Amino acid sequence: MADRAGHQSRRLTSPPVLLALLLAWAGAAGAASLTAAVRTSAGAPVKDAAIILEPTGRTPPPVRARATIEQRDREFIPYLSIVRKGTSIEFPNHDPVKHHIYSFSPAKVFEIKLYAGKSVNPVVFDKTGEVVLGCNIHDWMAAHVLVVDTPWFAKTGADGLARIDGVPAGTYRLRLWHPRQKVATPDRDLSLGAAVRRIEFTVDLTPRLIVPKPPLDAGGY
Amino acid sequence: MTLFRTLERRIAVVFVGLLVFVVLLMLLIVARSGEAIILAESQRQLEAGARNFSNLIDRDQRQLELAASVLTGDFGFREAIATQDRATVRSVLRNHGSRIGARVMMVVSLDGKVIVDTQPLGEAARAFPFGDLLRAAQQSGRSGGVALMDDALLYQIVIVPIMAPVRIAWVVMGFPVEDAWALEFSRASGLDVSVITGDGAIQASSLAPTLRSALKILQLTALGEQPRQLVLEGRNYHAVALPFGPQARVVLLHSLEHSEAAFRELERILEIIAGAGIALFVVGSFGLARRIAGPLNTLARAARRIEAGDYSQAVAVEAPDEIGQLAAGFENMRTGIAAREQKIIRLAYEDTLTGLPNRIRLTEYLAGLDPAAAAIVTVLGLDRFAPINDALGHPIGDRLLQQVGVRLAGLLPPRGMLARLWGDEFAFVVESPDQEWARKFAASVLAALREPIELDGQRLDVSGSLGIAFRPADGRDMDALLRRAELAMYSAKRRQCGYALAGDVGDGPPPEQLSLIGEMRHALERREFVLHYQPKLALASGRVVGAEALVRWQHPERGMMPPARFIPFAEQTGFIREITPWLLEEVAAQAAAWRQRGMAVVLSANLSARDLLNPELVGLMRKLLAAHELPAAALCLEITESALMEDPALALSHLAELAAIGLKLSIDDYGAGQASLSYLKSLPVHELKIDQSFIGSLAASPKDAAIVRSTIALGHALGLTVVAEGIEVEADLKWLAAAGCDIGQGYFISRPMAAPAFADWISAHAAIPSI
Repeated sequence: MADRAGHQSRRLTSPPVLLALLLAWAGAAGAASLTAAVRTSAGAPVKDAAIILEPTGRTPPPVRARATIEQRDREFIPYLSIVRKGTSIEFPNHDPVKHHIYSFSPAKVFEIKLYAGKSVNPVVFDKTGEVVLGCNIHDWMAAHVLVVDTPWFAKTGADGLARIDGVPAGTYRLRLWHPRQKVATPDRDLSLGAAVRRIEFTVDLTPRLIVPKPPLDAGGY
Repeated sequence: MTLFRTLERRIAVVFVGLLVFVVLLMLLIVARSGEAIILAESQRQLEAGARNFSNLIDRDQRQLELAASVLTGDFGFREAIATQDRATVRSVLRNHGSRIGARVMMVVSLDGKVIVDTQPLGEAARAFPFGDLLRAAQQSGRSGGVALMDDALLYQIVIVPIMAPVRIAWVVMGFPVEDAWALEFSRASGLDVSVITGDGAIQASSLAPTLRSALKILQLTALGEQPRQLVLEGRNYHAVALPFGPQARVVLLHSLEHSEAAFRELERILEIIAGAGIALFVVGSFGLARRIAGPLNTLARAARRIEAGDYSQAVAVEAPDEIGQLAAGFENMRTGIAAREQKIIRLAYEDTLTGLPNRIRLTEYLAGLDPAAAAIVTVLGLDRFAPINDALGHPIGDRLLQQVGVRLAGLLPPRGMLARLWGDEFAFVVESPDQEWARKFAASVLAALREPIELDGQRLDVSGSLGIAFRPADGRDMDALLRRAELAMYSAKRRQCGYALAGDVGDGPPPEQLSLIGEMRHALERREFVLHYQPKLALASGRVVGAEALVRWQHPERGMMPPARFIPFAEQTGFIREITPWLLEEVAAQAAAWRQRGMAVVLSANLSARDLLNPELVGLMRKLLAAHELPAAALCLEITESALMEDPALALSHLAELAAIGLKLSIDDYGAGQASLSYLKSLPVHELKIDQSFIGSLAASPKDAAIVRSTIALGHALGLTVVAEGIEVEADLKWLAAAGCDIGQGYFISRPMAAPAFADWISAHAAIPSI
């Protein structure tokens, strides 16, 4: 659920899901909220930055969560996915052309040969780390999957803000990661009470490599 | 200069010389501008080649990058790289690198560490040696350049990322810069390509080994992008050096020979054309010059022949041009000169009347004979030719002479010559005959003349006398021989013996006649001529009505000479022209003098044929009359019948003029010549003097008396005064008076007297009225 909630928070931010999360953790040990604002040194809001809270000294129980990375308009959607370790990700193909998804990232090396529609088997991401996805036949297609071992994470929206709610009070290591960060931002240790914390981050990015995407031809391919 | 001595050479040398000059000038200009063109062209080609080379390098770089990108995009390659297994990665590098000909391949981490290197020397994890290239790749996604690798070889290097799909590492590919590379670029750029590293080593070159080592020796540090000329192995090149990576330079050479070759070929062709042109021109010029000068030489030879007097050869130059016209002019000149010379020779050596050689020709012929050889000169004089001429006229006389010439020519022996000397005299010169032959020859000539000659149906008897002179006995030269022969001829004529030999006749008449001309001239100047007057008596009245002036020569040595001794000679020589004016002047002066003294006598003067035909005569008479204030009738001019007959028409016209002035005119010696009565009738004369030969024989010859009587009657019938001269006896005088003769003249009346004596005689005669 948390996995799904993380997913939802990133994607849908629907009040029922957020509520469920809050209920799950606040009931156990009282709940705190964290808001992160990520900007570049020039002050521009940074989108798709991952904010991760890892509890120190304890490990949350593993989950068997599911996630989806679609291929639509010959793009991966979303660009950045943050999943808990052990999450199965499906790669449904909504395009009329086939895709050939691969990853050579050490955290998860896999390959789904040319396929259309739903992928045959979801891929289980059972190691933490960064996974870069590509499509062998569409060079410009790229997606990042950050596999974490904590239920508390969020990614910044276009406004550069991310919020994690229902975090039980305790000590945590706060990590910031971005697929194109120039320099890794040092982790921060912090203890969270019942209050809402707001953390500001500054991160500089390398520009996204623009591999030109050819327009569709007359047949829609 | 002997070179220019003939027109032919001059033309040819000038023509050929000018052409050679122009051609050499042209070749020089072509060569010089050619060099400039070659240099400029070579430089242009080099610059173009250098640009081309840079473009080729850039394109090659891009192609390598592209090829490398395609390679690194290969899924299997990426997958293998991603395995991180060194051996596998190295193996795949080798495998895929060989696909695009990369000699060196490396995988470099994003942070610049060499992960895998196909070079055996390569140590893993060492820093990538070409940081600049890597930084450039990080900047723009890929990069390329030239670099020396650890093996001291130069490589073209390409750095491309491995995308999975984000950049996970760099792949570095090295392509060796070696001779094959240089050759390929050499072919593509048209230049010789050599790559030289900073230490002077030639990494790659398209040059042959010898040239390569020559290039290596040269210090090329100064060479830059500005083209410069250099010499390799004796060949000319243009060169530029371009930077090629940080450690190397590319030297681009353009051989001038490429540009030169085409130009040398052009020059060679030009030289061949020029040579052939000059050769053709030499031949053509000489040909033309010969065609111009040849006919001129022919003309010059012809002119020399003509100069030497050889007119026999025609001037044979057939040409339609100016030279042809000149030749035609020469030819006309030749024939003209020849014809004129012939004519001159004919005139000089030929007697125009008979066509026989003349005296000059005969003289030359004699002179041309062997001086030692014997020869005869025979002169023939026709007898009684003058009377024939007078009687029948000159045309008949001329034709008679022609016929005689023809007849004599038939007698000419082979070794001899016949000539007409003058008048009625002919002469033969015959070689080496003896006297006997000469006599026979003379006889044959006389015999030939004995046959009458027929002219216009009229048979004329001709005879002649011959005089023969022998060489050397009678003289050596023509003048002497002719004179002797003539004397002999005259002697024969006198004796009427047919012919005479000079040796028999002797040396001939005194040389008195020969000197007479000179003496006469002196005589006139010294006033040795004097006039005597013979009275003319009117027989009816017994009064002296006139006198005839007769010239005498008071010769200082020979005494008083009668006119017969010198007047004929003066007439022959033409000296009469000088005597007559003097005589007329004297007579006019005397008449005027006497007239002043009351002596009214008409004075007569004799005129010769020459005088009568002299066109100045009438003017002279007018002047005399005016000068002496004489009435014209105070003077009378006596003209012999034969004088009238020389040119009857002209004589008549002059007589008419004289008559018109009012002068009295008298026919002298009437009856001795052949004047016709009809002619006589037409003459405007006043007096007729009967020839004294009739008077002298009046008593003895009844015939002559009859002639005189009838002549008197005739004269009267024509209204003329009749004069008888030569009256020597009283009987004749009486007879004549009885016969009605108007005037008498003669010794019986009075001899001719000097003017004073005449005046005295007149006075005395007047005192005794009748004789």
